[in-house]
Parts: sequence; structure tokens; C-alpha cells
Amino acid sequence: MSKELIRLRDLCMAYDDELVLDHLNLYINDKEFLTLLGPSGCGKSTTLRIIGGFTAPLSGDVLFDGVRINDVPPYKRQINTVFQKYALFPHLNVFENVAFGLRMQRRPDPSDPKRKTKLPEEEIRQRVLEMLEAVSLKGFENRRTDALSGGQQQRVAIARALVNRPKVLLLDEPLGALDLKLRKDMQIELKRIQQQVGITFIYVTHDQEEALTMSDTIVVMDKGTIQQIGTPEDIYNEPKNAFVADFIGESNIIDGVMVRDKLVQMYGRQFPCLDGGFSENEPVDVVIRPEDIDIVPVEQGQLAGTVTNVTFKGMQYDIIVDFRGFKWLIQTTDHSPVGARIGIKIDPDGIHVMKKSRYSGLYGDYSSFSDEYDELDTVEPEEGGDEA
Amino acid sequence: MKSRNRLGSRALMALVFLFLYAPILLLIVFSFNKGNSNTVWTGFSLDWYKSLFQNRLIMRSVYTTLLVSLLATAVATIAGTFAAIGFYSLRRRSRTALNTVNSIPMMNADIVTGVAMCLFFVAFFTFWGDFSVWFNGVQSVVVLPERLTLGFGTLLIAHVTFNIPYVILSVGPKLRQMDKNLVDAAQDLGCTWMQAFWKVILPEIKPGIASGALTAFTMSVDDFIISYFTAGSSSSTLAMTIYGMTKKRVTPEINAVSTLLFVTVLFLLVIVNLREARAERTGGERHPASQKLAQMLDTPKGRMVRRGAAAVLAASFLIAVVLLTGATNAQPVVNVCSWGEYIDEDLITQFEEETGIAVNYQTAESNEALYSLLKSGAGDYDVIVPSDYMISQLVEEDMLAELDYRQIPNYALISSRFKGLTYDPEERYSVPYAWGTVGIIYNTSMVEEPITSWSALFDERYAGNVLMFRNSRDAMATALSYLGYSLNTADEAELREAFQLLKDAKDRGVYQSFVMDEIFQKLEGGNAAIGVYYAGDYLTMLENNGDLAFVVPEEGSNWFMDAMCVLKNAPHYDEAMAWINFIASTEANLKNMDYLWYASPNQEALEQYPAYYEDLYEEELDQETYDIIAAPAEILDRCEAYLVLPLETRKLYNDLWTELGI
Repeated sequence: MSKELIRLRDLCMAYDDELVLDHLNLYINDKEFLTLLGPSGCGKSTTLRIIGGFTAPLSGDVLFDGVRINDVPPYKRQINTVFQKYALFPHLNVFENVAFGLRMQRRPDPSDPKRKTKLPEEEIRQRVLEMLEAVSLKGFENRRTDALSGGQQQRVAIARALVNRPKVLLLDEPLGALDLKLRKDMQIELKRIQQQVGITFIYVTHDQEEALTMSDTIVVMDKGTIQQIGTPEDIYNEPKNAFVADFIGESNIIDGVMVRDKLVQMYGRQFPCLDGGFSENEPVDVVIRPEDIDIVPVEQGQLAGTVTNVTFKGMQYDIIVDFRGFKWLIQTTDHSPVGARIGIKIDPDGIHVMKKSRYSGLYGDYSSFSDEYDELDTVEPEEGGDEA
Repeated sequence: MKSRNRLGSRALMALVFLFLYAPILLLIVFSFNKGNSNTVWTGFSLDWYKSLFQNRLIMRSVYTTLLVSLLATAVATIAGTFAAIGFYSLRRRSRTALNTVNSIPMMNADIVTGVAMCLFFVAFFTFWGDFSVWFNGVQSVVVLPERLTLGFGTLLIAHVTFNIPYVILSVGPKLRQMDKNLVDAAQDLGCTWMQAFWKVILPEIKPGIASGALTAFTMSVDDFIISYFTAGSSSSTLAMTIYGMTKKRVTPEINAVSTLLFVTVLFLLVIVNLREARAERTGGERHPASQKLAQMLDTPKGRMVRRGAAAVLAASFLIAVVLLTGATNAQPVVNVCSWGEYIDEDLITQFEEETGIAVNYQTAESNEALYSLLKSGAGDYDVIVPSDYMISQLVEEDMLAELDYRQIPNYALISSRFKGLTYDPEERYSVPYAWGTVGIIYNTSMVEEPITSWSALFDERYAGNVLMFRNSRDAMATALSYLGYSLNTADEAELREAFQLLKDAKDRGVYQSFVMDEIFQKLEGGNAAIGVYYAGDYLTMLENNGDLAFVVPEEGSNWFMDAMCVLKNAPHYDEAMAWINFIASTEANLKNMDYLWYASPNQEALEQYPAYYEDLYEEELDQETYDIIAAPAEILDRCEAYLVLPLETRKLYNDLWTELGI
């Protein structure tokens, strides 16, 4: 990555005495696709609004290119935003929506540098049409925005922001209102656009899959603090605590004790692993991803349990296995009937050991498993709800 | 079975609509009546509309109404829109609370709002008076006016106040429908907050603003009660003028102006509703024609045209306001309060032309209403025209100014018979305006023999056919006259006897109803046989029903004198003198006598009237009619004028009246 563009220093924010951001520190590099990921209420949207200038932080600084911009109003920041539900101007057609920012722009008059002039109509027209072409909306100039599909409105919103050639584009859950298929297409489209224009994207979502697909960097947030920053691979493979492990993908999280480096004990048994750096006999959380577990005959297994639920998922089966009252999720291509006793085997690189945190014990048990858990993850926040 | 049900419900609906609209329809129909009756159709004509547009009282109040409505709408629309935006940006709980507070004025009874505002203004003026006296005392750079009065300003403030909630109510929902991020988006794209307001919020809430403004305008045009309490003596809205005109009777002229008012309000409501319906149907899409116009106006040339038009409009509006306020400020004024239809309005025009003094002509309903208006501080008049007994009371309470008779040379023309009467024995406070008698009006085709005595009003033979006064003093006077007692008696026994007479007759069902000006309709339409009212009004009724006859009963009756007085501290004393002198002239008295059919106190006018009548109508005035207008001495000798009653007696009247239970 290249140089640092935005730095958030010690940001605090509260609504009604409720702390929304708790001493947040973050830097964002130029041309980076960075995603703020977390459940609703975690502070990700607030962070975005502070960067955009729509909300002033209670304390802390926002630096842009090394300059403090706390007091710079939104219309003077080299930042544009794609809003949740797009916020297109209903009284303007597609062309005028996209041209809106350009019509507001003033620049020094070439003949008299002291005076400011509007952009020439011809230039506006050219830039708008170019931008519409870039988002595949050529020919839609005179349409009313409410006569467009959700995906088309989305593109107008992106074009409207990008036509101003900002240094940073903020995107606030921009795909939330689209259906699954369209969302997948737009994820790829967004990434393509970002690479094409070569500017920083700061993307807010609660959808971990979206984050993993598009981001260069993911910032996992909860309760106003950053839980982990890293590449999608880092976040997935080396979650820092139970919250991140659970929020990103599926995880079985088991209480364990680190016997010594590269040896962890669960259920009274010792499992070889690759982690180290803990003190001897330190209690830890152990993450085992469902796809890293092999089913074997009972006598060959490291652990033995009973199958309580099987769901066919197309590519694999989701199997819930009871190990002494603690339920694990196992994803496998082999079918095992409900009630069967099975053994399991985990390779050392399938075991990830984390320090205990305040999230320990909260996640990683599939006792309340239901078929909908996957869908629940992507359910929208309430329509029209007052998002803090 | 089913179809019959449907038929039944349709019939029911038709009935409902009939009840709702038949009265208005009747009013509209009779506004085109040739004659001046509201019950007898005599042919189609537009005369009443013509006379409407020549009636300067009405035209002036139309002007006042339009001006106050437009200004109030403009101010309330701007204030209400910003208030709605303020409400919108609040948290939900405080917003709900504020919305409730906002809707209270709309639900509140107008009368309460009106009285409250009147009290508030008067209280403020008192405070202002004290403050400005002190302020003018301590410095001499700025001179503050010490006396503020109810008038156009307070009327406007009141209208703005009651209009704002309607604007908020119609803008609020549009704001809530708006995507919350729109303002952020506009700011994100380079707008300051103010630019975002103009470019994004305003277009979004424009339909709400427009319907809010229309509603406000309709409410303003429509309002009577609040205006009545806040307009003071110098301004009168159309609704107030109409109300003043109905004091006497509903003339077809009123039908005409009411019809116009109804059509205007209907028109505005149709526009509001059509707009809303269209907005719902098309999701706010513009009408193709207006879209085309908008496109045309969106070219650089079009924008110039648009800006030019807006500038011209704003400028002319401003000029109108300046002219109006300037005109009323620069010109000398006199504020007159009289009774409904109690002047030939040509006289007002003539006076204004001759002297350059503008006349604010208002009307009150009755002596008692005038009195309470004066007491509340809302009646800020120069000249009033109270009746004899009320003059006594006002003198007693030191509310009248002494007149400067040197400025009223025409006072010499007043017949000596009408000078130095009991209400003003030393001739210090009043100049007589008009006089008349009270008598029985009856329908000759509905009674067996000519009526000569008050006994007819208590006679069971006419049960269900008699109309009695709906006020205690006049009703009791009929009974007192019949019994041969003084109209001004304070003797409780006599009063109780008179009361018993009324009560018995009422219990025996003699009275069809107790009325005031409704008597015109009832007697003209032949709905009642006998009534009691004023001589001059009898002649008006006679025009519409030739069977009516009038008599001043043999036992005697009440005669009254209305005289012009000036209020203490009248702001325009000299102008008031000029007005009184003008009205006291023979020419003015002749005109008024002919218009009112009440007798003039001017000796020359009394003598010249028959000739004047002959000149004007080219027919002779018969002696009988003249005697009804101006009762000859032998009749007048039988009659007695009202005096102000002692407080105790007034209380007794009240109690007895309550006991009668009208």
C-alpha cells in the first residue's frame, strides 16, 4: 500500500450519554479499499459520518493528508458519499442528479483569477455522460430516478459521487437494499470501479461476506472499539478474539488450556497446534472452523460425539455434533445420519488459539442452531429505523 | 332486496347532501333575485352584484380581507415552513410533544383564541403606553407613539398566528417522507446548509408548502371570530362586514357577497384537493403543460423572464402595502361606529371627498354590545351613535367627551323638540341622529279587525301567530305600556305584574317565537300575523308585503332617539366634529331619512322631506306614510323614551328574563 491519507485520532462520540465511539484510532491509506465491519450499533456508520463531516466527534481529531479537518464542513471536503438507500434527489432526473455536484463547483476564472466561475456547461455535460457510461447507465440521462431499478439507482448514486473526482469515496451500506444476486454483481462492479478510478473507498457494512470479497483491509468493530484490523485472510484465519471469530464466518469456539507452545488441551485431551507465545497452562479460546474438521470412525477420532442435526446445503452438509453438551458445527461432504456416533480429527493448522477476552464464552456454541442462521446474518436492519 | 337497500342508502345520501347544501343553494339563488326579499322570487337580475361592487363598505372590506389574507399567508408560510423544519430536526419525543402543542390552536375554540388575543393586545398596549411615556420622557432622539390601538396590525398578527399551525401541519409530513440523507447528500456534493435548503429541501416539500399556504389563505378569508376581536375599529374584514350587515336583515346584497365568498373558498379547496389527488396518483409528476412551461423557463432567457416576473410581483406587492399603510397614515381619519344599515353610504363618500378625511365605518349589534366593546378597550372609536338611555349611562360613567358646538354650526338646525332631552339636559354631549317609534306590525289578511291596543300581543285568539321582542327591555316595555305603567318604572310590583302578563301569554302559547331581525322574514312571508318592531322597518317590510299595517297602540309606546356622541380621549376629535356637523346638515338628514325611513331630528329636513320624496320618486308621499316615519306630536306625546335603569332594576330584569326562559 501507499501513503497514509486519513487518520482518526482518539475519536470519541456519544449519543444520549451512550458511548458510540470509544477512543478510536485508525489510519487509512491512499487508494485503499477499507471496510468497517460490525453489527448494527457498533459505531461504523458514525465513524463514516465523522469522516464525511456530517457529524462532529465529541473529542479526537480527523486528519486528512496530515491536516486537521474537524471543522471543515462537508461541502469543502474532498470526500463524497454514497448513502444508504442512495438519497437521490427525487425532483431531478438522472443527468441532473449526477451533475448536481459539478453545478455547485466554483473555480478561479482563467481570465481573472480573483473571481470564481461556474464550470462551463459543456464540461459538465461531458463529465456526466462519461460517468454515466462508466457505471453502464448510458441513455438513462432523462429518466426520473424513481423509474429506475434498485441497482440502477445505486449506480446513479455512485456516479453522482464519483463525478466530482473525490479523493475518498464513502459508502454506507450501499448494497443493503438490493437482492442477493444483484448484490453479488455489484460487489464485483464496485471493486472494478475502485480499481479503475484509483481512489480510496471506505465501505461500511454488517455483511462479512461483502467485506471479505471486496476489501484490501477490514476493520472489525464492536461497541465503539476496533476489535481487529487486517487483510481479509488475516481476519479470517487469525481472528483475535471470539467476537471476530464468530462474526467472520462460522466458528466453533471452545475453552482450552495452553499446555505449552504448540500443544493445547480441550475436553481433557491434548491437541497439537501451530500457535505459541502463551504462558504455561494459560486458559485460552480455541477456534476451529467447521470446514477444518474431518469425520472419522469413533475409534480413530480425537473426540467422539453424537450427530443431532443434519442440513443439506448443496455443496456440503452442515452437521451439528454434541460433544459432552457443547455443540459443534461441522461442514463436510460426507453424510452422517442423526443419532450416529462419530469421531473427529483436526489437523494442527485447523486449530487457532486466542487469548481470553471479554467475548469469551459468548460465541461459538451451536446449541441454538437453526437452519436460518445463515440468512439471519444478512437480514437488513429495520426499514426507517433511527440509526444512531 | 339488495337493490332496494342500495336505493334506500342512495336516498339517504341524497337527503344528507340536500340538508348540507340546500341552504347554500337557496342563498345563491336568491342572490340573483330581482326584489329584495329572501322568500319571494320576483325574477332574475344581477342588480345585487352590481350594487355590491358599488358598496364601498363591502369593497373596502374585501380589500382588507385580501390584503390581510395574502400578507398573513406569506408570513405564516415562511414562518411555518421553518418551524416545521425545526420540529423535524428534533428528537422524536420532543417532536411529538411540539406537534401536540401545535395542534392545540387549531382545535381550540376560535372565540377563546379571539378573546385571548384581544386581551393580550390591550394589555400590551397599556404596558407600551407606560413604557413609551417613560421612554419619551428620558430621551428626545426617538419619539415613540404613546397610543397604540387595535387595527390592521393586530389583525395581521392574529391571522399570522392562527395560520402558522396549518402550514406546519401540511409541511411536516412532507419532511418526514423525505429521505433523511438528502440534506447530507446535498452538503456532500458542495452545498452549504442554506443552499441545500433551496436546492433540495424546498423542491421536496413544495407541495406541502403550497397546500399549507392555500389552507392558510382559505382560513384567513374565512375567519370571522378571531378577526372580530382583533381588528379594532379601523379595519373590517369581509366576514365582519357581512355580519354587521345582517344585523338589520339579510339583504340580497349579502347573498351576493356570501355567494362570492363561498365560490372563492370552494375554488381554493378544489385546488388543494386536486393537487393532493394528483400528487397521490402520479407520485408528484408534473402536469405535462406545467412541465413544458418549466422547461421553457429553464433556459437562460426563461430564467431572466422568471426573475423579472418575480421582481415585478414582489415590487408591486411592496408598493401596495406601502400605499395602503401610507395612505391610512397620512390621511386624516375618523372612526365611526353605528348600527347596521343605518346610513346612506353615499354620505360617507361625499364627506370624504369634501373634507379629505377618511371614514372608518363600523357597526355594532346593539347598545349593549357597543357598551361592552367600549368597556373591553377594543372599541377605539371617535364617533358612536348610542340610544338615549345608553347615552345617560355613558355620561354617568364619564366615558363621553364634551362636544365643541362651535365646530358644529348645523346643530342649530336640530329641532328644539329634540334638544336638551333627559339623557343630555345641558346639551353638552350629543347631536341627535335619528328617531322613531315602536309599534305593532300586523298582517291585515290574518286578523279579523284592525289592531289598536297592546292587548293583541297577549291575546289567545292569535295564539301561535305573535312575534315578541327577544330582549328584556323591549319585551317588558310592551307589557308595561299595556298595563299603563311607565317604561322606566323601578317598582318591583309593577315589573312583576308585567312579567306575569308575558309569562301567562307565553304559557298559553300566544308567541310563535321571540325574535329580533328575523321578524322581517316572518312577517313578509306571512308566517306570523302580529309582531312588534320599529316604524321605519315596517315600511321596509311593506315593500315586500302589501298586507302589512302599522299602529302605535293607543296606550302609548316607546320612542327612541339615537344621537352622535364622541368618546373621551377620541384620537381624532376635530375630524369627529367635522363628521357630526356634516351628518347634522339638512341635506344629509334628507338622504338618511329617505334611506332609513327613520325620522330626522333636523327641523328643515322634517319639513322638506315630502317635497324631496316627490322630487326623487316623482310621486307624492302620502301623509299616512310620513306619519309613520315621523310620528306627529299627538302620537309622540303618548310615547316615552327609555331612561337608564337603576342597577337593582337591571338585575331584576335579568332575573325575570331568565325565569321566562326563552
